[in-house]
Amino acid sequence: MSSTTLRRLIIIFLILLWEVLPRTGAIPELFLPSLSSTLQAGWSDAGEYGHALMVTLYEVAVAMVFACGGGILAGAVVGSLPRPRVLIMPMVSSLYAVPLVILYPVFTVWLGIGSESKIAFASVYGFLPTMLATAAGIQTIDPQLLLAARSMGATLSQRVTRVIIPAAIPTVLSGLRVGGALVIVGVVVSEMLISSAGIGYLISRYRTILESAHVFAGVLLVLVMAVAFNALIRFVERRAAVWQTGTRAGRDAMAREIPAAALQPSGS
Amino acid sequence: MQPLANITPLKPAARAGAVQLAGVGQIYETSGQDVVAVSDVSLEVRPGRFVVLVGPSGCGKSSLLMMMAGLRPQTSGTILINGASIDVPDPNRVGVVFQEPSLFPWLTAEENVEFPLTLRGVSRKDRRIKAEEALQLVGLDSFGKRHPHELSGGMKQRVSIARGLVQDPPVLLMDEPFAALDEQTRMTMGDELLRIWAATGKTIIFVTHSLTEAVYLADEVVVMSARPGRIVDRLDVALPRPRTFEMLSGDAFGSLRDRIWRHIRKSA
Repeated sequence: MSSTTLRRLIIIFLILLWEVLPRTGAIPELFLPSLSSTLQAGWSDAGEYGHALMVTLYEVAVAMVFACGGGILAGAVVGSLPRPRVLIMPMVSSLYAVPLVILYPVFTVWLGIGSESKIAFASVYGFLPTMLATAAGIQTIDPQLLLAARSMGATLSQRVTRVIIPAAIPTVLSGLRVGGALVIVGVVVSEMLISSAGIGYLISRYRTILESAHVFAGVLLVLVMAVAFNALIRFVERRAAVWQTGTRAGRDAMAREIPAAALQPSGS
Repeated sequence: MQPLANITPLKPAARAGAVQLAGVGQIYETSGQDVVAVSDVSLEVRPGRFVVLVGPSGCGKSSLLMMMAGLRPQTSGTILINGASIDVPDPNRVGVVFQEPSLFPWLTAEENVEFPLTLRGVSRKDRRIKAEEALQLVGLDSFGKRHPHELSGGMKQRVSIARGLVQDPPVLLMDEPFAALDEQTRMTMGDELLRIWAATGKTIIFVTHSLTEAVYLADEVVVMSARPGRIVDRLDVALPRPRTFEMLSGDAFGSLRDRIWRHIRKSA
């Protein structure tokens, strides 16, 4: 049996467990409502969830633009110029140890409890890994490739567009995957803390009134969102980087640059 | 590209492929201390000659090559290629092949060979034709669609040679091009290079650490010593062509190699 089929079987098995365990009473429905009752709860309040999803997607999309756009831009500067790198990198690295969620109350004071504070928080949250990955991607470009390009008469702008950018793409994409995932985390967590709309808000509100099926419907939606985002990035990665060795080297560079523990959502 | 007005009117056709170095020196500044990498090197290479530079590590032979490629400015002296000085890399006059194949991993073999033409805005059709010719010359015409990670070390270096030849420059500079290959591949590549050289009539300046390779390939071996890098001997290799494997064990071959070795041992 291939590992792909095995993986699929495990997923199907878990889904079945989700349905069977609560049904047989092995786990009380309050702790884990069955899949069918979760779906039913979501379906019966589809309008409410749909609206919440729109709010969350809007916040995620805007924050993604800020986090990824800003991260790539800043990473490109930091990665290619030694002076900013020396000044900024140690600061950024130590910033990683700070649970950024402590900033969220500050953002609500500044920006209110509407979408703006979520977007601001999620942007900051997703910015760091994107920036670090981009900087690493540019720093790890083989200088020999740039020398070869120069020997063929490449101008500075040709070296940027034809060597530096294509060489950095795999690392930048893997940074986008982490950064984008953190944007989703940032939006949902901040909605759960202080807000009046969005999926995080629904999850948090239904939890206080012990509507487990509705809580899990929200959880399921967030899950789907994260998986869909990951699939999208993987698709782009496969398209952009056929040269797999480079992709792997990029991922290794990412792993060195960003400690895995720092990627866990902090707080809530 | 090149300031054409500065070229001394020297019958360009007769000069094609001529390399002239007069009093070339290079000084590095490392933490306040000047290091003389190359000192007062004068060398005249007639068109179509195969000249090999040998010497201990740090004798400046690679530096010298970088200067001839226009990749590094000399501190003193003049370098003329085709009778004109070379201040910036000019792939129409000089092709460069490095120790690492330095192929762009995201491009196919064909696209890598086309790269210097792409930089100059040559049309897709003309690029294809020239790249195919160059790949045919190095015996890789059926591998054009492969990416570098799908090619062996020797094949990669062939692609790199094809890229150096694609603009048909009269001079080919090679910086230890076979040093990273295993010995069998290295021998085969040496024969291949001699075949290409005979077919194209290029001037080749070749840097190596291997004395056997030097004598086997060269019309003339230039021996350099370290600290400061300067020329200590020039040997004409009078062995007939085509060179054969049997010559390696002959007396003429042995005495030439011994003479080079004595120089190198003295300065190392």
